[in-house]
Amino acid sequence: MFKTKTGKWSAVALLAVIIVAVGGYAYVMAAFPENRCEAKHLTDETKMAGDCYACHVKATPKIAQDWYEGKHGVLLVKCFVCHGQPDGKGAIEFAANPDPDTVCRKCHDPAVNRMQEKYGLRAQCNECHPYHQNSIHHEAFQKTQSKKTLD
Amino acid sequence: MSLSRRDFIKQLAAMSALTALGIPTKAKADQNIDFWSKAVCRYCGTGCGVMVGVKDGKVVTVKGDPNNHNKGLLCLKGALLAPVIYAKERVTKPLIRRNGKLEPASWDEALDLTARKFRESIDKFGPESVGYYGSGQALTEETYLASKIFKAGLKSNNVEGNPRLCMASAVGGYTTTFGKDEPCGCFEDIDATSCFFIFGSNTSECHPVLFRRIADRKQSDPKVKVIVVDPRTTNTARIADLHLKVKAGNDLALLNAMAYVIFREELDDPRFIERYVHFKDNEKKTHTLEEYLRFLDDYTPEKVADLVGVTAEDIWRAGRMFGEAPASLSLWCMGANQRTRGVWANNLISNLHLITGKIGKPGSSPFSLTGQPNACGGVRDTGGLSHLLPAGRVIAKKAHRNQVEKQWGIPQDSLNPKPGLHTTALFEAMSKGEVNCLLTLCTNPAHSLPNLHKFNPGLKQCFLACIETFSDAKTLEFADVVFPPSFWVEREGVYGCSERRYALIGKAIDAPGECRDSVNILVDLAVRMGVDPKLVPYKNSEDVWNEWREVSSSTPYNFMGITRERLRKESGILWPCPTEDHPGTKRRYVRGEDPNIPADYPNKYWFYGNEDGRAVVWMRPQKPPAEPADAEYPFVLTTGRVIDHWHTGTMTNKVPEINKSFPEAYVEINDQDAKRLGVQNGDNVELISRRGAMVFQARVGDVCNPGLVFVPWFDPDRLINELTIDAIDPGSKQPEFKICACKVRKV
Repeated sequence: MFKTKTGKWSAVALLAVIIVAVGGYAYVMAAFPENRCEAKHLTDETKMAGDCYACHVKATPKIAQDWYEGKHGVLLVKCFVCHGQPDGKGAIEFAANPDPDTVCRKCHDPAVNRMQEKYGLRAQCNECHPYHQNSIHHEAFQKTQSKKTLD
Repeated sequence: MSLSRRDFIKQLAAMSALTALGIPTKAKADQNIDFWSKAVCRYCGTGCGVMVGVKDGKVVTVKGDPNNHNKGLLCLKGALLAPVIYAKERVTKPLIRRNGKLEPASWDEALDLTARKFRESIDKFGPESVGYYGSGQALTEETYLASKIFKAGLKSNNVEGNPRLCMASAVGGYTTTFGKDEPCGCFEDIDATSCFFIFGSNTSECHPVLFRRIADRKQSDPKVKVIVVDPRTTNTARIADLHLKVKAGNDLALLNAMAYVIFREELDDPRFIERYVHFKDNEKKTHTLEEYLRFLDDYTPEKVADLVGVTAEDIWRAGRMFGEAPASLSLWCMGANQRTRGVWANNLISNLHLITGKIGKPGSSPFSLTGQPNACGGVRDTGGLSHLLPAGRVIAKKAHRNQVEKQWGIPQDSLNPKPGLHTTALFEAMSKGEVNCLLTLCTNPAHSLPNLHKFNPGLKQCFLACIETFSDAKTLEFADVVFPPSFWVEREGVYGCSERRYALIGKAIDAPGECRDSVNILVDLAVRMGVDPKLVPYKNSEDVWNEWREVSSSTPYNFMGITRERLRKESGILWPCPTEDHPGTKRRYVRGEDPNIPADYPNKYWFYGNEDGRAVVWMRPQKPPAEPADAEYPFVLTTGRVIDHWHTGTMTNKVPEINKSFPEAYVEINDQDAKRLGVQNGDNVELISRRGAMVFQARVGDVCNPGLVFVPWFDPDRLINELTIDAIDPGSKQPEFKICACKVRKV
């Protein structure tokens, strides 16, 4: 297959790149999974137990603020109801992006059915219906905008 | 570069495949549900419809029932119901206490021992030496049956239940004002109202799906107003246009002051008052409107503002908002009921509707929210309290007793004419050795009674048999026998929620181990106690339900049209419902809606519970709580629920997410008080009342008023009820959980 020296070296280099890429990717996926909570260890402390909001208001202020102002926040649908708990030992799978079929359906079954009929079941409801920004006070969207400007 | 184009594409494809291999595909939960079964949520008085998804004989998920009033929505607790069923703490075998330890036994042993103990006590000390203590979470059929067994079979009227701790003042309020118990409006009134008057209810945390409906209504029309009366800035107050952060215990004055404002601003409805209302004082003496107005002169906003703890201007605003709105809906809960003047608070809220005619119209109703999923229904309707008989009848009235005796097929005048002991009296009688045997069903009094140190000795002393699902319920520490019941969707039965809506919990799965349906446990136990088997000829809960329909049919309650078949098909029906083609009743006392009012009745409204057909506007004066704060105990302690946990936590602490997020109770303290005491957020503080002391972690903030501390009551390791007071409302006999004096000390 490789008739010249350059060809051989190219193949070796390419293989090396592949190994590094795959290895790097595997490492990143293992060390930084999609469903990783930096503060997992803290949630064992009574004071911090389940208080995702207290951390996220600092770590991801936009998301935390959107939730607080959004319908789910006003109605106290807390983080763990949809995202599960960080140690993954809960009844709900710990996930940054909750699965529409198993999570969203619990409360929004008629809406999921309607959307499924129209567009098929999407991987995420969130892409069209940002669940943290669906506001009761009509303020979340404005607040999001102002934050965008500030950033 | 000798790498051919073809080779490059080949290698790129290989790399892509490798990369693709590295992407973790998210494992989808298996959604191949075998079948969905209809039920009602196990938790609060909202009574949301739930569908349970069953696979291989196990409940694997739940979702809201789109056909019930909740339109498919669930709250935090409801969405996480499934793990509760499979808790490792389930009792699955009968247990008998031997040498101080609960040990497995056979059903025969447990039933015979219990029956023998009850029989011996009855033979030796009379029927009043035994009692039953049930629950607003038991099935309607279970409560009806237990009440019949004890009242008709054993001749003991000592039939009580935890609704006495929860809804007794609402019962007292409705019966004194309208002559009949239970709300007259419905949840649909939320969608039609223009003013919410939320009094002593943290709806957001205690009835979350109803709160969503309230918030939706407010969002749909910016003119809709929300008034919240609560000494704490709860999550409910987040959507309030006016939050009256009152001093705990002085709000009767506020309600009278709002009535004063309504008349002064000419927002009353003179025609409604003239036709449908009369005025009475505490001595039940009838008064004129002028005399009522003179009574209200003592409650001008300016006179009561300091006492109530809000500005006079805010009281004027509240009165105007309520009166000016085209439709006003009052919603209240334990803040009004768990008080030594709970009945009066209930009366005074209804007054506001009667003087403005805001009742019986879409969006206008005095609507008491029930705490438990089947207190309003199963216990109040079927007569599961010591002074009641089924369908609104009372033991004290001979005519009522005779009606029930006829329906139950027992000799005339054979029912015990003396009402039984109410809850705190029952547990006190147990301490004194006057009641020797108690059967509990689906309740946890060793955690939920007030002033536990006073009542626990009674539990210890008497022979205690418990039908209880979870082995870690505090009450089992005192139990002599434990019967394992089928839980929630492991048996079929009916729940009735706050709005008079009855819905079926279908059997979806088999119960584990040796668990049996409580209806069958009660029947078996009754027969072994010597009750005539003809009195309890039931094979299952459906048989009991059909008898209950018959028993109710000759009364204004009338469940005749709510057949089992309809319940299986429909997602809830509101009584009265006299025939199978009747759609159910949204608004009572209104001609054209309430089937108890003939179509040709001359007036639009008829308050048929009272002899003269009129509702009563009560002249109830302000009264302080039984134990106000003083120099020695300067704080007011109040208790309540949090959205995460249900009652004594025996169910919610089985859900990993909830247990993790809310593992223990804390004390909420105002930041000014905390500063003065040198307490910081997270510090341990000791609460000391006249009945006990306990250490909690402090949560410092502005939720509580200065001088007020709040503790949630779910935590079995921190029983705040060791500190609460057992003072009761003289009318409803409901304890004043919401207010007692305490001091706070940093430790």
